[in-house]
Amino acid sequence: MPKANIANHIRRLRFEHAEMTQQELADLVGCTRQTIIVLEKGRYVPSLSLAFDIARVFSKTVEEVFDYPTNG
Amino acid sequence: MDAVWAPVAVISGVLVAAGMGRFLWSLRPQADMSGLPPTPLEKLGWVGLGVTIVVGLGLGLLVGLAGADFIDENTTARGIFWLLMLGGTGFWVASWRYLKRRSGATVIDERDRAILARSLSVESIIVLLSLVGWTIVLTEVYSDEGVMPIGFLQLIFWSTFISGAFGRSLGIVMGYRREIPANA
Repeated sequence: MPKANIANHIRRLRFEHAEMTQQELADLVGCTRQTIIVLEKGRYVPSLSLAFDIARVFSKTVEEVFDYPTNG
Repeated sequence: MDAVWAPVAVISGVLVAAGMGRFLWSLRPQADMSGLPPTPLEKLGWVGLGVTIVVGLGLGLLVGLAGADFIDENTTARGIFWLLMLGGTGFWVASWRYLKRRSGATVIDERDRAILARSLSVESIIVLLSLVGWTIVLTEVYSDEGVMPIGFLQLIFWSTFISGAFGRSLGIVMGYRREIPANA
């Protein structure tokens, strides 16, 4: 299965939002802290719904939170 | 017959040992995940591994001490057998309820569900290996007689059940130590 090269700015956005903790973000989007950690490290590609939920927490669009280079 | 099986057994042993070594190496904690508390599902995976290993060893000990046909012949051994099976299953179910109650936040999220779904492949492989093992052993032992004790049906069912639970638990533990392939 090909590895999707999807980067994200979750860590930076957390700090820009009153230094939100990983657990606080996890509680807001309904996932575990471990999932936020692997997401930040780029080791897990979230579902569309989780990506939208995370973007909404930061009042951003999905594209502003996640980067998906056109060249893969 | 022994001349044929001896090299097969040695080669199988080496392959199994190599596979186990590789597998154990893959279970080492990832550097960037060290110090992180396991999720409730991962804890359940470890509990499942422990329970199935204890119950499996107990069943093996029971068969070794009371004979393979103890279910038909030995009332005490049969009682211990049911205690093991129902006790192990009950403990596993109780552990999950306990872990769910203790976790204040989200218990299972989409990543956990992905790991749970992928663990089915490990479970399937181990169940298949268990059935292949039974088929080979029973064929070798009872081929001359043409019949086997009816008590083996219980053993086959419960060993398959234990193998399945072991495989599922193993798949869960493995899932948290490997990168989830992108579903995008």
